[in-house]
Amino acid sequence: MKEKQRDKQREKRHVSAIPSANESFIEVSGNHEILIEGSKGVLEYTSEKVRVNTASMLLTVCGRGLNLRCISDSALIIDGFITSLNFEV
Amino acid sequence: MLLRLLHFFRGWVSFTVSGKYPERFLNITARRNIRLWDVQRKDGGFTACMYRSDYRRIRPVARGAGVTLRIYKKNGLPGMIGRYRGRVGVVIGACAFLVSVFVMSLFVWSVDITGCQTVSRTQMLADLREQGLYVGAFKPLIDPKQVSREMMLRRREIGWMAVNLTGSYASVEIKEEAPAPEVEDISAPCNVKARSDGLILRIEAMEGETEITEGSGVIEGQLLVSGVRTGGQGESRLVHAQARVYARTAREASFSVPAVSNTLIPNGETAQRKSFLLFGLRLPYHISAVRSPYSVSSRELWSPCPLNITLPLGASVETVSALEYQEQELDDNSAEELLTREAQLYEIFSLSDCTVENRDYHLSYSDSVYTLRATYTCVEDIAYKEPIGTDENTDLTPRIVPTESE
Repeated sequence: MKEKQRDKQREKRHVSAIPSANESFIEVSGNHEILIEGSKGVLEYTSEKVRVNTASMLLTVCGRGLNLRCISDSALIIDGFITSLNFEV
Repeated sequence: MLLRLLHFFRGWVSFTVSGKYPERFLNITARRNIRLWDVQRKDGGFTACMYRSDYRRIRPVARGAGVTLRIYKKNGLPGMIGRYRGRVGVVIGACAFLVSVFVMSLFVWSVDITGCQTVSRTQMLADLREQGLYVGAFKPLIDPKQVSREMMLRRREIGWMAVNLTGSYASVEIKEEAPAPEVEDISAPCNVKARSDGLILRIEAMEGETEITEGSGVIEGQLLVSGVRTGGQGESRLVHAQARVYARTAREASFSVPAVSNTLIPNGETAQRKSFLLFGLRLPYHISAVRSPYSVSSRELWSPCPLNITLPLGASVETVSALEYQEQELDDNSAEELLTREAQLYEIFSLSDCTVENRDYHLSYSDSVYTLRATYTCVEDIAYKEPIGTDENTDLTPRIVPTESE
């Protein structure tokens, strides 16, 4: 009985992890890589700061030697030495 | 890895973007589903990579975004092909290379034999050549199983053999067969007789009735141990006589050499023939000859063998030494030395089963020929077995002595 409840909770968590149309999905690996899904465009890009527009907020990634490893219509990967993340809702 | 391979085959360009709003260019390309990667900020702009085909589409977009694009590197297969499009020779060369690699892989370029102990390696190579396996052989015509089967039938001393073709390398592994020991038929009746004349020193009879005593002299063919045993009641039965009979024997041998002889002797003139060995072909690059019609040659082969694999290339140097007939006259000392050496060789090889107690050499000269007569006193086993006559040549009819009246 308890196992079934646990499975249901797990499923709920998994479903909530999938971004909806108005949400973005952000995955951070250590402090050297960040994947942003659901981006609407890059507003500013320097080697110290990348500002990304998402559906519901403005995300600012600060660090050193920041590169856009890959950029497509709705996702981008930033790598480099990340020092801070700032969300502006 | 797979992504890099895809990039290579589609071809990609590295370019710089410079202008007032480079971020705008990024957003426009992203909206048009054009992939960008390795975007790095450089002073006043940035560098990025893009597929070659996408780059053609992006030029009007860049103009609209107010940025300038500049390619600094073209990568991938389409770029390489474009670079060599005007060079027909390179294309032909590449095709010729591929064809030659394909053609060369159809031949055997190296044959290695492992496991030879008593079997001659040279003989094995010659036999394999007859079966169609040699350096330079056409591989599709070789059936390794058939070759190994034929070789095992041809050479009985090979117990097991395998021919493995790995690419252009043929490895032949053999295991030699251990010969079956001779089994003596100890049920067949036989006598033990003397192989040579001698004075009996010791008798070790295992079976049969001894007919001689120690200290007695025997002649060749004399019965030593009889295979006919007589019981207490006077009945006879045949047995397989076995014995070792040691006797002191005398052996004689003579060796002769003409006092004046014409022999072929190197006259000091030599010549070298050098050649390259390439894929079974011998390509001479230095040829010379000697004037004398008689010569003796020795050949040195050098071939690289990395990882115990003989490569199909190497070098060979053949040294030819000229010979000429020279009249040689022997004196007593040199003739004795020469003949004594021959006698010693005879003793080593022919009297190996005997213990030589004493040897006596006598040199004589007659009719321009030196003769050395060697006499050896040996101790040896003179017994040999002779079956008791049951074959068709044996006369089994009772011997009737004719009487005077008849």
